[in-house]
Formats: sequence, C-alpha cells, structure tokens
Amino acid sequence: MSEKVKAVRAYRRNVALALGLLLLVFVLIPVFVKSPYILNIFVLVFYMSTLSMAWNLLGGMTGQNSLGHAAYMGLGAYASCLLITKAGANPWLSAIFGMIVVGLVAGVIFYPCFILRGPYFTLVSIAFGEAMRQFIINSTFFGRASGVGLPFGRDSWLDFRFGSKVPYYYVGLAMVLLIYLLMKKIERSRMGYALRTIREDEDAAAAIGINPTKYKIMAVVVSAMVAALVGFFYASYIRYIDPDLMVQAKSTESVLPAVVGGAAYVEGPLVGGLIMIPLSEFLRAKYSALLPGINMLLYAIALLAVIRFRPTGILGWYMHSKTKKFVDEKLLRKPPVEVFEAVELQKHSGKEA
Amino acid sequence: MSNTPIIEVQHITKRFKGLTAVKDVSFSIREGAITGMIGPNGAGKSTTFNMICGYYPPTEGKIFFRGQDITDKKAHEYTKMKIARTFQIMKPLKNLSVLENVVASCYFGHAAAKSEREARERAMEILEFTGLFDKRHILSKDMGTPDQKRLEMARALATKPELLFLDENMAGLNPAETEAAIELIRQINRSGVTIFLIEHIMQAVVSLCEEVIVLHHGEKIAEGTPEQVMNDPYVMEVYLGTKGGAAHA
Repeated sequence: MSEKVKAVRAYRRNVALALGLLLLVFVLIPVFVKSPYILNIFVLVFYMSTLSMAWNLLGGMTGQNSLGHAAYMGLGAYASCLLITKAGANPWLSAIFGMIVVGLVAGVIFYPCFILRGPYFTLVSIAFGEAMRQFIINSTFFGRASGVGLPFGRDSWLDFRFGSKVPYYYVGLAMVLLIYLLMKKIERSRMGYALRTIREDEDAAAAIGINPTKYKIMAVVVSAMVAALVGFFYASYIRYIDPDLMVQAKSTESVLPAVVGGAAYVEGPLVGGLIMIPLSEFLRAKYSALLPGINMLLYAIALLAVIRFRPTGILGWYMHSKTKKFVDEKLLRKPPVEVFEAVELQKHSGKEA
Repeated sequence: MSNTPIIEVQHITKRFKGLTAVKDVSFSIREGAITGMIGPNGAGKSTTFNMICGYYPPTEGKIFFRGQDITDKKAHEYTKMKIARTFQIMKPLKNLSVLENVVASCYFGHAAAKSEREARERAMEILEFTGLFDKRHILSKDMGTPDQKRLEMARALATKPELLFLDENMAGLNPAETEAAIELIRQINRSGVTIFLIEHIMQAVVSLCEEVIVLHHGEKIAEGTPEQVMNDPYVMEVYLGTKGGAAHA
C-alpha cells in the first residue's frame, strides 16, 4: 500500500523537479543573454504562444476553427490603448477594460453563429476580423490607418513602460504561465469536458445535458479575452499599434503554433511556439537577404513537413512515442496507471471512513 | 408503482416538408416497466423516438412527462429531468478514453458531480456496472461495436436517469452479445430505471418488454403484451410477415 503511495509521490516530485528546472532556465535566460535581438524572439514566443493557447481553447478543445484571433488581439490592443491615450487611464486597468470589451463584442457577435453548425463560425470569424480592420482604418476615433502610439517616458512599472526588454520578458513569461494554468484548469473542469464533448459530437453533448450554444459562447468569450490580453501586452511592448495588426495573416499565425505543437493538447501551442517562432526568425535573419521571400518558402516547407508527417502535431507524436515511454519510465520513474488509480481510490475510501 | 404514466404521448405527428413520417401516434409508458417499440424499417420509430427525446419537436401533438408538458423542451434539458437516451448510430467521444467519456457525463444532468473526484468515482462505478472497467483507458474509437453500445448506455446512466431511452441498442450484436446486453438492460431496470426501447431483435423484445407498441407507415397499428402483439393478424401481416418467419418465436 504505502509502496504505491511512495511511488506516486516520487514520480510527482520528479515531475515537479523537471518542470522547476525548465522554469529556472527561462527565469535565468535574461541574466545570461544580453542580446536584445534574442530576448525579442523570446518575448515574441511568449505572446504568440499565449495567443495560440487562446486559439486552441476554441480550435483544439471545442473544435471551432477561428481565423479571426488577430482581430480580438487588435481590438484588445485598441481598447486599452485608447483608454490610456484618451482618458489617461492606468495601463493595467486598461488591460482589464480591453479584455471585457473584447469579451462582450465576441459574445454578442458570435451568439447567432453558434445557433448554426459547421463552418459558419470560421467564415464569420474571418469576416469579423476584416470588418474590424476596415472599421478602424476608416474611423477617426481609432486613428485611421496611422494607428495609435503609446506615450514614451521614464521606466515605470505603474505605466508598464520600459526601455529594456528584460521586464517585458518576465511579464511575458508570467502571462504564458498564467494562461497555461488557466487552460489546464479549464481542461480538467466541467467546462473542459463540455467543450471536448461538443468537439466530438454535438448531439451526444446535448443528450447528456450540455447546452452546446452556451458552452461555445463561453469558450469564444474566454478565448477572445485572452487574445485581448495579448493585444495589450503587444501594444505595451511595441508602443505603437495600427490596423495591420488585424490582417488575416496574423490570425493564421496564431493558429500555427497550436497545430504544429498538437492542437489536442493544452501544451501544444507552447511546444509549437517554441519551435516555429525562433525558426521563422532564424530563417528571416539568415536567408531573406539572399532572395526576397525565400525565408517564407522555407518556413512553409517546414510547416508542410510537420503536417504531412506528424498530422497530430509534435505532441501528438510524442505522446505515443518510445521517447515518452523512456522519459516517463526511466527518467521520471512513472508508475503504471493502475498504481495511480489504486492510490486515488485508497485516498477516497480513507477519507470517507 | 404509480398509475400515472411516466411518459404520455398524445396525437403526435411529424411532417418533413411533404412527407408525413409519423401520423397521429398516441401511447404511454408505464413507470418502472420496460416498454418496447417495433416496426419495419421506415415505420417512423426513430422519428417518434427523436421527438420524445427533444431532438426535434413534433409538428402536432403533445408529450407529457409525469403530467408536465415537455413537448418543446430542448435535447440538452432532458438529463435535468432525469431522462437519458442512447443513439442508434453510436456517438462515442472518439478521441477520449472510455473513462473520460463517462466522466464527461457525470458532470451533467440533475445530479451533476461537483468535483472532478466525484465525477471520476462515479464514472468508475458505472464502468464496473456496465462491464467496461477493464477497458477504461482505451480510446473509445478503438473499441468494437458491442463495447461502444455499452458505452452509449454507460454514458446515459452516468447522468443518473429515472427514464432511459435505448435506440436499437442491440443492432449488430451476435446472439451471445445480445444475451449479455439483455441481461444488462434487465439489471438497469431492476435498479429502478424505467426503460423505453426501439429494437429490431425480436428475441430481445419478447424477453424484455412488458408492453410493445407497433408502428407501421408512421401509424400505431397495435399495442399490448408481446404475446398479444405477435398474435395480432395485422402485425403478422405487415411486420413479421415481411421479415420472414424466422424473426418471431
């Protein structure tokens, strides 16, 4: 009995240790890496992975493929920037404001689409993104095509404004972790089961008492709010936004990390982001001078290769691979599933008795 | 048992554009019993079933559950009323394990689990009851037909229904598997769940049902005990006659 408990505890400790080490590496990177170029790539990885996690809540977990996440991000950036520049509000409060606005807009716009099934949602999400962009380009209040700039000034946590990239690195890292934990929490909750049931079969979901429309709306609102948060982060980092933030290509970019990493997994966008974004930057730096556009071509080839040979993404392959078996059994000393269950059941009966 | 029927169907009609699939059908389901519905292919069984389950509303007529009008209730409101259903064409959550399939169900309905622990514990009990416990870590798409049919029932049971609708739960099973399924349905019924089933397999209907309703061309042509129904000349002619003598006892 206690043997099994010990084995499970040892495994959990090993996992915590491994994750702790990984986190430590990320925390220490700015201490050793001084190049702003490299740090910028990491910040890019952080916010694009977060955006991709937002997409994955809808695309991966709920099976609703959105191609409009750049619009949520852009709208969130605009909402918070305008509140800062026009009303002089605190950036952190503006971030919350931006998230609420975008959540509401997404909920209201997509409610009617979810009454219909199938690809309507995808189509509307594309139209939504383009409509928002056109609206902003033509609206004086939103600064038209010239965009909105955030005020420069002294470094300040209160104003979330820094000359160095290091604070953005840490805030970005915290954002990724926070959103990852949120997504993990959602996955294991009632909502997560509802979303995955809807993904697999909407009729089956309704038959067990899930209101598909309600949960899809919840998913789109949460997803849009996270995207809005990313928009705020982006705006604070770049300190300038324009309607180009919302172009269709940016929405597609939010999909790629999830698909490459494995859309069925909460960790998918993180793995995909860590691979694809540095790759894209590397190709740009290395080859774009050789021949214009060659970097995009190579990127596309890499993408096609992943989709052709690992259609379930890198994690989809890893989860059923010998590598994972080796890592689990030899490095982390993971006990068999039966041991976990035995421990779980024991704990319960012990508490009830 | 109370005398008021658990389900009362009054004059329901369903028209799809010009086609009348079900015409003026009325019947009731007695609480605590197993009631069956038979009829040749295209008789309107599934249409009737789908109307009672809220999948789509009847064009005309009313459906009552314990005296309450549920005609316009949506499909997702049923488990809150302690009614669950299975699907003729199995709808397992393909990319989820068997355990996760059932855990998902435990989270919803009138007795929705409050915590992950409660949901998992209840799912384990139901898997034990339906004989799927040993397969709990398999992806549901990797199981064969008999197990997927069982999983359909397990998922329905996880919502703790008092009334269970089974849509051709034994289609595609061999005789031994059918026998096992019959035994499982009996057990579910004995635990206090009223059952309404559509079935093609006569052996199952005869041995399980206390009452049988026969549909043909969208109309009810007979109802009664299995013996009464089987000996009804019209039923023999339209249903059993066309299916061949081997189908009935």
